[in-house]
Amino acid sequence: MHRPVLTLTVLALASAPLAAQVRYSAMLSVGGGTVLLSDRIFQDIELEQKRFAAFTLGASLPVAPRDLLGIEVGLGAGGTRVFEEGVGRAEGPSYRTLTATLGYEGPVVWRLRYRASAGVLKYLPDKEGVFRQGGPAALLLGAAAEYRMPFGPGLDLFGRLQYDFHRFFTRELEDRGFGRSQDVHRLALGLGIGYTRP
Amino acid sequence: MTRRALALFAGFALAAACADVIAPSRGGSLRYDWRLIVPYDSLGPREDTLSFHWPRSRLPVTFWVENQHGMPSRIRAGIAAWEKVFLYGEWSGTLIADSTRADVIVLTTVPPPQTLPSAGRLQGNPFAALCDGATDVDTAATRFQLALPIRLYVHPVDISIPGTSDCLDRVAAHEVGHALGIFRHSADTLDLMYSFPQVSAPSRRDQATAENAYHFRAEMVPVGP
Repeated sequence: MHRPVLTLTVLALASAPLAAQVRYSAMLSVGGGTVLLSDRIFQDIELEQKRFAAFTLGASLPVAPRDLLGIEVGLGAGGTRVFEEGVGRAEGPSYRTLTATLGYEGPVVWRLRYRASAGVLKYLPDKEGVFRQGGPAALLLGAAAEYRMPFGPGLDLFGRLQYDFHRFFTRELEDRGFGRSQDVHRLALGLGIGYTRP
Repeated sequence: MTRRALALFAGFALAAACADVIAPSRGGSLRYDWRLIVPYDSLGPREDTLSFHWPRSRLPVTFWVENQHGMPSRIRAGIAAWEKVFLYGEWSGTLIADSTRADVIVLTTVPPPQTLPSAGRLQGNPFAALCDGATDVDTAATRFQLALPIRLYVHPVDISIPGTSDCLDRVAAHEVGHALGIFRHSADTLDLMYSFPQVSAPSRRDQATAENAYHFRAEMVPVGP
């Protein structure tokens, strides 16, 4: 369902007349999130997220005088902690994610902008544990506030406070008979650079 | 613009209705008993049933493997098979070159007669046609300590007999199962921890049993190198 939308956006961004108006961006972000999984074997077990980091590339073009529509693709990595009631916390498996979102952004006030996005997040296969077989593409919904500061011809620096939501589930969990998915809320702070041909 | 943004947020709010994952059961008939029966004699002969798992601080468990009959690669495959059963990285193992620092020693000989009174032997099928295995665990002076190294024996009856290689693979994975803390045999032939293993990978019941062992309070602690 998302592929045609992304393809059309990419084609639109690549077309010559619009190319001059395209804003490109690159961003590094770090963040944290809510529990990935609750389990029970004799006692309650929770798989908690540690800090994650992500690198995101984006391209957007104007759809109204001050509004932009764009895509962002990101690669993230994070760790987990296993909390077991009565036992304590221990290191858990690590994970990598791939995200692709379509976002709509516009001004709020002065240099502050908003971005609302929808897309997909996929947990990539990893060497061990719950992430071993990766996960299905999950719907990723996000909202962000962005402060943009021009610093050169066509260039800007920006800071972004981003919230997103997805439902966590992996193929390993499915194989083991887990049911339903876990709501996961994440908050991240990003720093990036944007470029629009002057 | 504002309407589009509002529509997005409305969709967002709908999707964000709370839901938690539902964990499957790993109890009842989905597992078998993994605990070691330890005889002791404080006020007359008695038995105790004790659970063991490797503490996180001792991971990865180190294996020294005698380089005979391709045993290092068989044990490595057995370790990989058991690592897969854990969701949260509860157990891992690795091969090392220094036997004096190993938690587990794997030999390819017939196990010697038992001499230590505190040692227990988990023995396979004594009438094995192709290969056999055994695991010696020593509960040391007090039954609440597990003296390291644990010794595994995996040996062929005659390496030239067809089918021996597969047998060694199965028995190696089975003995690794003992080394991680499953100190009993399953009664089900479809489980890797059946006394004479017919399968080469942990079954669902093996998996649930290992998970249970690693989330059950361990009464024994490893002591040694």
